[in-house]
Amino acid sequence: MKYRGIVERLKAIFRRELGIFSRRPIFLFCMIVMPVVCVVFFTSLMRAGLPTDLPMGLVDEDRTHVTRILVRTMETFEASEFAACYDSFSEAREAVQRGEIYGFFYIPKGTTEQAMASKQPRVSFYTNEAYFVPGTLLMKDMTMTSEILSLALTRETLYAKGYDERAAMAAIRPIVTEAHPLNNPTLDYSVYLSNIVLPGILILLIMLSTTYTIGLEWKQRTQRAWFRMADYSVTTALVGKLLPQTVLYALMIVFYDVYLYRFMGFPCRCGIAAMMGIGILTVVASQAFGVFLFGVFSGQMRLAMCLSSLWGILSFSLAGFTYPTTAMAPVLERLAALFPLRHYYLLYVDQALNGYPIAYAWPSVVALLLFIMLPLAVNGRYRAAFLKYHYKP
Amino acid sequence: MKSIRTVFRIWYDELADLFRDKGILIFILFVPLAYPLLYSWVYTNEVVREVPAAVVDDSRTAQSRAFIRRVDATPDVEIVAHCTTVAEAEELLRRREAFGIIRIPESFTKDIWHGDQTFVGIYSDMSSMLYYKALLLATTKVSLEMNADIKVERYMHGTTDRQDEIQHTPIEYDYVALYNPQSGFAAFLIPPVLMLILQQTLLLGVGMSAGRTRERFRGSLVPFHRDYKNPVSIVLGKAAAYFGIYFAMAVYAFTIVTHGFALPQLGDLATLTAFVTPFLLACIFLAMVLSSLVWRREDCILLFVSLSVPLLFISGVSWPWPSIPAFWKGVACLFPSTFGMNGYVRIQSTGATLSDVAFELRGLWIQTGVYFVAACLIYRKQIRRIANRCRR
Repeated sequence: MKYRGIVERLKAIFRRELGIFSRRPIFLFCMIVMPVVCVVFFTSLMRAGLPTDLPMGLVDEDRTHVTRILVRTMETFEASEFAACYDSFSEAREAVQRGEIYGFFYIPKGTTEQAMASKQPRVSFYTNEAYFVPGTLLMKDMTMTSEILSLALTRETLYAKGYDERAAMAAIRPIVTEAHPLNNPTLDYSVYLSNIVLPGILILLIMLSTTYTIGLEWKQRTQRAWFRMADYSVTTALVGKLLPQTVLYALMIVFYDVYLYRFMGFPCRCGIAAMMGIGILTVVASQAFGVFLFGVFSGQMRLAMCLSSLWGILSFSLAGFTYPTTAMAPVLERLAALFPLRHYYLLYVDQALNGYPIAYAWPSVVALLLFIMLPLAVNGRYRAAFLKYHYKP
Repeated sequence: MKSIRTVFRIWYDELADLFRDKGILIFILFVPLAYPLLYSWVYTNEVVREVPAAVVDDSRTAQSRAFIRRVDATPDVEIVAHCTTVAEAEELLRRREAFGIIRIPESFTKDIWHGDQTFVGIYSDMSSMLYYKALLLATTKVSLEMNADIKVERYMHGTTDRQDEIQHTPIEYDYVALYNPQSGFAAFLIPPVLMLILQQTLLLGVGMSAGRTRERFRGSLVPFHRDYKNPVSIVLGKAAAYFGIYFAMAVYAFTIVTHGFALPQLGDLATLTAFVTPFLLACIFLAMVLSSLVWRREDCILLFVSLSVPLLFISGVSWPWPSIPAFWKGVACLFPSTFGMNGYVRIQSTGATLSDVAFELRGLWIQTGVYFVAACLIYRKQIRRIANRCRR
């Protein structure tokens, strides 16, 4: 009998909540528009996978056939493209400062002559590391080109000594390192970033909309009516209120999974269903964390929302997918466990990217479950908030 | 004269209101002051060192051990385990005790002495690009060095040491990482983020202030007061209040944050001031335009916070500008942060002059003009609505 009463109450609060959504376009914005725009934005922005045709320059004071080999070699790399030749070093530097090129080669006068005479000339190359990704990509290609230039000269000598091509190559490069980027063989940046940034934005939106919807009750002084509808049970009130959002956001993360792993064809070695499960777990954990924050500040909407923003934005750094947590201060490495996105990231890497058994990722699953338990800790504070606290602007 | 006095009064009212409102103060004082410090602290180590890697050495010869020793000696990689089988090494990857495997084939030394090429496998966990970068750089560097040694020793032995050296590297090369000598993460990311923080907190602060006015004055963006009759004076008066505070915040970011965390600082203060003035104005006027979407104080948080991440990516600071699709380039040009971040990075990190950032500067002034007019139109509409309501 009591059980049916609770279900009826939950239904009533659920319907009431849908009514609130329908009157406020801002909910539409943050539950549907923003997540969908983001998924389209990130996947179309990085659809190339790796940046290509990054403009670079050349300061060629030598102007011989050898330097032209260098240009041709550089042109064959996918990432770089020769944009311009400059007459002097400072002209090239100014082009970097204007943002026209990301890097350039400098070949001083007499390079070829010295190389032919075995006098060990020196060429140099520069990249603008203030722009990290293009700088690093160009550096990789330019290092390779310089090596090749040097080796081409050695090869000529070896041919002259009567070596055939295979023997010459073995003499030039006896040890070859073969890089195998596991499970992302094309170094696709979209696979690497979209997979985490998108759920990260979703978690941020979930935490904000959780604290916002709950706070709105106090703001409009309807918290008592809501509490009465739930028969003075904090759990019933919160579950009924947040269930519509749980459903919407769960559908959104399922849409993300379908979009990324089916439509875009990103690697998903654990099967899409497992990722959906992890996604829904993360959605509920983020909601629970929002509820917890609101409870900790006993109903102060502003502080709860500010802290949610801080948490959500900071999680992009502390999840450790761009800059690993192992390279941060030890305190931060431990603090990272307090961010739902960190656990989502670890689970994604273990499951979708690498396809390891779930046994290796259990601490993250437990952590997400603990997040879901957090609201229990603030149950008493909610009760007090319902009965005593008023909205503070 | 009278209008100047009105502007001054609006400026004073806005400022007084701001300092009485804790919610807004969090965004316009606390966040711009604290966030840069927090971020700089997160990335203060700049680079990833000693990435743990496991070795599967099937060759077990002096030469293979030399290879491993040299890799271990690089600052980027640390050899944490010597495994007998690949499966054992994979287990370490699964337990996150290592992020890469270096596999040396059984025929390593034999191949070298036979005059064949030998292939060393580098398997990297792709959970973070920086692990891959560290492993790749370290092993490539070591293999190039050893190759050059082998080449001279085996095939091209010269008669003098100098001749050996020249055979070793017929053409020497230098690599110079301009403007960020250690290729650090903080030196790359923090300068643009400083500008993004300024824009985003302005959107939040101005938005929250608009929400408060709406809550107080029954949905109107303009208070019911005789000073608030001319849209231009309202826009100027409010803008002056924010500009004053944010100019101080910008100087704080340029000087204290930059010095405190040893970020790149090639820009001079005069250039930065000339650049940041249109940036702040464009941000303030854009914030006023967007604040018309805010109906309640807290709406602004929902609307603007999640924009920060796409704005960082669309600006061309992390994903290079030439690779951004044309449509998104167009969208990027709507936001002052795009020009602001690129211009600031170029001035402060690469020491560009104002003429070097002419494109960005022009973009910001155009935005300032357009958003100023748009903000005035929005306030004019509000004032007319109040007037109509009064007449009825």
